[in-house]
Amino acid sequence: MSAAKQHQTAAQDKISFGQKFSYGLGSIVNNLLGGAIGYMSIVLNVGLGMNPALVGTLQAIPRLTDSLTDPIMGYISDNTRSRFGRRRPYIFAGAILVGITFALMWQLREGYSEMFYFWFFLIGSIIFYLFYTMFATPWVALGYEMTTDYHERTRLMGTMNFMGQFAWISLPWFYAFMENDRFFSNSVEGARGLAILIGIVVIVLGIMPALFTKEKFSASGETKSAIEGLGANVKAFFKGLVITLKRKDFLKLCAGTFFLFNSIQLVGAFSSYIIIFYVSGGDSDMGSKFMGLFGSINTVSTLLAIAAVTWISTKIGKRYTFMLATSATLIGSILKWFCYDPMAAWKVLLPAPFIAIGMGGLFTMMGSMIADVCDLDELETGERREGMFGAIYWWMVKLGMALAFGISGFLLNGTGFNVAFGGAQTSETFFWMRVVDVAIPAGASIIAILAVWSYKITEERSYEIRQELDIRRGKVTATPVNA
Amino acid sequence: MRKDAKEKTMKKIHKIELILLSLLILSGCNKKNDENALYEANDKTKLSITMVGKSSENPVFLAAWEGAELAAAKLNKKHRNLELSIDWRTPLTESAEAQAERIRNAVDDGTQAIIVSCSDDAFLTSAIDYAVGKNVPVMTFDSDAPNSKRFAYFGPDDEAIGERVIDELAARLDNKGKIAILGGNQGAPNLQRRVEGMRKALLKYPELVLIGEYYHDETAKAAAGKMLEVNAQNPDLAGWAMSGGWPFFGEELLDKLEPGKQVIVAVDALPQQLPYIEKGIVQVFLGQPTFQWGEKSVESVVNKLYLEKDVPESTQMNLIAVSKANLGGWSRQLRAWGFSNIPVKYLKM
Repeated sequence: MSAAKQHQTAAQDKISFGQKFSYGLGSIVNNLLGGAIGYMSIVLNVGLGMNPALVGTLQAIPRLTDSLTDPIMGYISDNTRSRFGRRRPYIFAGAILVGITFALMWQLREGYSEMFYFWFFLIGSIIFYLFYTMFATPWVALGYEMTTDYHERTRLMGTMNFMGQFAWISLPWFYAFMENDRFFSNSVEGARGLAILIGIVVIVLGIMPALFTKEKFSASGETKSAIEGLGANVKAFFKGLVITLKRKDFLKLCAGTFFLFNSIQLVGAFSSYIIIFYVSGGDSDMGSKFMGLFGSINTVSTLLAIAAVTWISTKIGKRYTFMLATSATLIGSILKWFCYDPMAAWKVLLPAPFIAIGMGGLFTMMGSMIADVCDLDELETGERREGMFGAIYWWMVKLGMALAFGISGFLLNGTGFNVAFGGAQTSETFFWMRVVDVAIPAGASIIAILAVWSYKITEERSYEIRQELDIRRGKVTATPVNA
Repeated sequence: MRKDAKEKTMKKIHKIELILLSLLILSGCNKKNDENALYEANDKTKLSITMVGKSSENPVFLAAWEGAELAAAKLNKKHRNLELSIDWRTPLTESAEAQAERIRNAVDDGTQAIIVSCSDDAFLTSAIDYAVGKNVPVMTFDSDAPNSKRFAYFGPDDEAIGERVIDELAARLDNKGKIAILGGNQGAPNLQRRVEGMRKALLKYPELVLIGEYYHDETAKAAAGKMLEVNAQNPDLAGWAMSGGWPFFGEELLDKLEPGKQVIVAVDALPQQLPYIEKGIVQVFLGQPTFQWGEKSVESVVNKLYLEKDVPESTQMNLIAVSKANLGGWSRQLRAWGFSNIPVKYLKM
């Protein structure tokens, strides 16, 4: 199962720890921005009395604008020429603008109509997501091109993913922070304060990748004036979009991510409900403790899994590592069926490490594999389009998350769950809740494994591509930007 | 060259780290000052709530106590300047006189608030008013004293409960057939209101024929005896509407009633009653989330006294229909509320 030949990373292809760390700080910002609205939106309902359906709509609409702005931003970044590079100026400006926007959009006060809040937050969200795209798309693309080495890419993505976990650790504490009466009189005031804090963190950490990383490639092609180039750019944008969407290896990675990541997101709520209402009999205190422990074990396991998969992939290749890690999630998902035991609540903790392995491996391996796809794409098209690949990949992830949040409510209703009954739901309801919680991630894990099964860029092939590109360029760093 | 660049980068990172660290320390110092100011201004507020149930032999009040204690622990954790405690003064056996005495004693001992389930509202009104006169707010749960000066009540709407019993019964009898009402103690005001609700609901179902209302001492033996007596006199009786679950507190009827022969809907769903659901003798028990009596009452007292929020004068508690379909879920819910004598086979359902 191991690759025919294992390559060692050449000294010039290695990325210094400082660069990896600086890039990884962007991951904290990316995850923080991606998750914060979801975790803070409860204030719109509980604190400001908005209808939950309107709150859901507020989260869904920006996904539509993202579908347009993400690939456009990818295209713009890919084709930007400036003395500071094609990624870093956007990362720098985007971090500042998105930090300010985030802080401002939560400065809501009580006493206004529901529709006022809806429109205020909707407009704020659209602007926020626009600047978020401005930051995130070039930042993702930067990661794909910081090194041309097959293994060093995985190490970079491992560092990035490891650091990004600290955002996920902090997110579940947001509500408790906003509700804490030591700091705030109510959750609405708490949201105002927390948003400012997050805005500062986003700006400070977000500009780091722009200040302390190096770009390896610059845009290719001729420079045109804005008006002269408009038509050509639109044409080139759609051509690039089509080429990206036709690249089979990329689509396999997208499918793997879509099913694995979003299935876990989809059933996240189910697991909480099952732990509280089935295993703990409606005792929310007991359920919360187990959920907290589950989360802690999951976090520690994810961090360990990231380190492990990063190392393993240098031994057996990225494809096998991904399939191995996803198999662990499959096992963990199936294990849940047997571990939801009202007579032994502690068993709910057992699947956590297994599920974490797949999640830890996912974004480490996927980032690294997409970078390999970008090389293949350059070999066949002559263009480096990390921005476009990254934009489409992450839009697909964000769309999946929105769909998952939307669908999970309908699925929960479909099982017959009624919160008013507390722990006294029917046995049939609990049965279907468990079926959904186990079958969806298990099935999705199998689909993800099958999707990546025929992914063709092996370690050997990746180094061949690299050699051919080096020959074509003459030298890999032929067009350094800020050397 | 590469090493120099690396060193430069690292130096830059260290500088940023230093700035961040300084910011963190500064923000930490500021917070500490704020916290001290808050602490000095609001020294720990002690709040002792006296809880007086009807009887500490009755498991529903032990569950309510569990709810009160857990709510207190949660609120203490949430409000760090609050030191909330529950002072349990429920008499062993049901006695309005004992309850009134304990309320007066608690007031004299310096309690800050009282929550009480009234065994006899007329008898307890003066005790409640005595407490309120001494600036000790009182809230009632489960059984109200509506003419007293209590500030709020949390519990069932008895008339609505009666209506619900008939609705559940009618649905299972296709709205027709002979039925009887088992009413418990005819003098208990809350039970009277439940029967009143039943009568009102029956107007919606003209084909449900009420053969009579039957009252008895509130013991399992007396209730079972009355039920068997009525069954013997009316072999075509299709269903029972019960304002309490007394006949099923004992095991006597497990062998004496034929499962499925009649449709029985009764209020309360305590652990000892659950075998009647399992055997199919009783179709529906309307379970009261008694844990919430304590939980919600304590939350209301804290909202009124500590957080100075408006508290609704009356809050209705919703009942949960317990049938074979959710016997397992209800059993686990009872366990979570502190009941301990639940058969394991139900918990595993």
